[in-house]
Amino acid sequence: MDTPLFRPGGATRRDLIKTAAGAGLVAVAGPLARPRPAHAAKKTLKILQWSHFVPAYDKWFNTQYTKEWGDKNDTDVVVDNINLGLIPSRAAAEVSAQRGHDLVMFLSPPSVYEQQVVDMKEVYDECAKKHGTPIDLAVKSTYNPKTKKYFAFSDSYVPDPINYRSDLWDDIGMKPDSWDDIRVGGKKIKDKTGIPVGVGLSAELDTAMAMRAIMYSFGSHEQDAEGNLTINSPATLEALKFVAALFKETETPEVLAWDPSSNNRQILAGRSSLVLNAISVTRAAENDKMPIHEKIALAKAAKGPVRRIGLEHVMDCYVIWKFSENIDGAKKFLVDYIDNFKQGFMASEFYNFPCFAKTVPDLAQVISKDAKAVPPNKYAVLSDVLDWATNVGYPGYSNAAIDETFNTWVINTMFAKAATGADTPENALKAAETAMKAIWAKWRDRNLI
Amino acid sequence: MHRPAPAAATPRQRAGLFGRIADNERWLWRLMLAPAILYIVLLVGFPFLLSLYYSFSDAIVASREMNFVGLENFRRVLDSVTFWVALKNTIFITVVSQVLVLVFANALAMALLVDFPGKWLVRFLILLPWVAPISLGSVGWLWIFDSIYSIINWTMREAHLLGPGQWPIWLGTPELAMASIITVQVWRMLPLATVIILAGLSSIPQDIHDAAAVDGAGFWRHMFQITLPLVMPVALIAVLFGIVFVFTDLIAVFVLTRGGPYDTTQVLASWAYFIGIQGGDLAGGAAVSLFLFPVLVAVAIVFLRMARRAELT
Repeated sequence: MDTPLFRPGGATRRDLIKTAAGAGLVAVAGPLARPRPAHAAKKTLKILQWSHFVPAYDKWFNTQYTKEWGDKNDTDVVVDNINLGLIPSRAAAEVSAQRGHDLVMFLSPPSVYEQQVVDMKEVYDECAKKHGTPIDLAVKSTYNPKTKKYFAFSDSYVPDPINYRSDLWDDIGMKPDSWDDIRVGGKKIKDKTGIPVGVGLSAELDTAMAMRAIMYSFGSHEQDAEGNLTINSPATLEALKFVAALFKETETPEVLAWDPSSNNRQILAGRSSLVLNAISVTRAAENDKMPIHEKIALAKAAKGPVRRIGLEHVMDCYVIWKFSENIDGAKKFLVDYIDNFKQGFMASEFYNFPCFAKTVPDLAQVISKDAKAVPPNKYAVLSDVLDWATNVGYPGYSNAAIDETFNTWVINTMFAKAATGADTPENALKAAETAMKAIWAKWRDRNLI
Repeated sequence: MHRPAPAAATPRQRAGLFGRIADNERWLWRLMLAPAILYIVLLVGFPFLLSLYYSFSDAIVASREMNFVGLENFRRVLDSVTFWVALKNTIFITVVSQVLVLVFANALAMALLVDFPGKWLVRFLILLPWVAPISLGSVGWLWIFDSIYSIINWTMREAHLLGPGQWPIWLGTPELAMASIITVQVWRMLPLATVIILAGLSSIPQDIHDAAAVDGAGFWRHMFQITLPLVMPVALIAVLFGIVFVFTDLIAVFVLTRGGPYDTTQVLASWAYFIGIQGGDLAGGAAVSLFLFPVLVAVAIVFLRMARRAELT
């Protein structure tokens, strides 16, 4: 039977196919059409980094600093800010496609990408010439002693002090100086006011930092200084038992649903007596004129049975892909950025601390007199942060095995299982060790550890 | 035979060539099907073959070098406790959510079959979750289940359904977290299932209903002996869609719980993402994700056969 090719009063089949084909062509070819650049010779530098927890920093970096740097260096600087949780997948996509940004900033040492990135030794050397040696925390987070390669460059780190409600803690006559204090005082406050401690036990960044802070202060470590797996130790078992007690006595199941913004939300909503977080908590409250900021005090990392130690809250680690289209421009940008780091430190409202200490020589004085803080010396406690902050992977270097363990939340899950009683501390430790042994074996096979 | 040179072809002749293609029944369907096939080959077939390739290698996210390792990745995956938890959770979430979807979609479709004022608005509202991106919807649900701001908790407290000290932590308790994820999956899949079943219901000839009424069939008899058997083929297709979407979904778990508390809501898709992308073990992630494939193929074959049989009877 013949198909009618023409319908009276309507479009013909030919019209329909023409329209569909035209629309299809536009849909396919449209995204490929690019406007011709105004200046063909002008270079481009594409930067990918997180949406900063202090919005003033992004404003300064995106609209002022990079524009000025671009004008001086005849370069169009494009900054893409994304949610911190999306950085790993974006990086993986760029490596897979072998194209993307020239500079990518990770928030923890991206050791697994070592084979895809350029060696940053030259950048470190250039900065060291002008500003002295970088802090040990930066080197331990971005250098692989096995391959002798700097797989990233760290411009700054973020201190991770204790943020606590001074009114509640004063009320019970205690200060959160040690983990024992936090357990005892936290319970007293919870019993009295119903307000719990907020140390995360979830699959997320802040929990990963907090649990390691407890481990390291108890003398437990994922690896030794040479990179050998050492998770299975009596100290780890003690840390697990401590966290189980801390959870039962001072916390609620809210910490099992923690995400990277929970610390801020909980304490600012008056629902936590203590959290481990960067100063974005108090900065947000000050900037939004929330009265609670006057009741939030800062303290150094808590003392454990072995030492007083905590982690950095965030470690800024810039990498330059080997396939980057502007490797030299990216390196120059980093060197120049360190020259101007004090601006970044001020724009971040003391959130980003320098990895080249001499770039902010008056740091201690500046942070001890802040116009917004109540009292004005609230942030002075951070002046000796390097005495109590260390890198992920302490006492060794942050390597690929540490990175995978960190990002697959092995330590977080181990602590959460033991804390909730879903598993005994011994079994939780055994399960974590099994997972970590496989991870260590894999990266040893690849000669990266 | 003399043929004009192509360069000399007039616009009219070119239009004639196009017309010949447009009128050619033998080639036109192939031409029109080609984009869809190309799409499936490029965006489904190629990634599938690639993940098959990865799963037998030691591929990592940060290297283009890889070696054949046989079944090593599958052995590692099967040895992992988390894998079995994720597999169990994936099946549980899929089955429970689809049973609920089937019940609710039937009820909704029947309600929407009847004329009432504002029906278009109700249909529009029901379709909204399907139109909205799942990531956006999940973020909305994240706030609904938030431990401080949960609108459910505040509503229950105002309604005096929560006593003093009672405050469910939706995403922090394993059972509640699982219920939250199932709720989001039901919310997401309900519109599609409703529309499909509604189409099925609308296609039942009115004279069958009339004949049943004349024979004195009551509501339940009408429902179980006429409506449901006739709507079964399309309902099975709706469930098949639902199973495929929920079984392979990563977003709901990733946004709401990230597999927590302590892996109790981990599903295969999220576990594959955490291993493959976050952890950098591309081969391991590919091996986990491939476990989805045989299950889905089997389910699709069973459901399509059932739908066909239901159609024939």
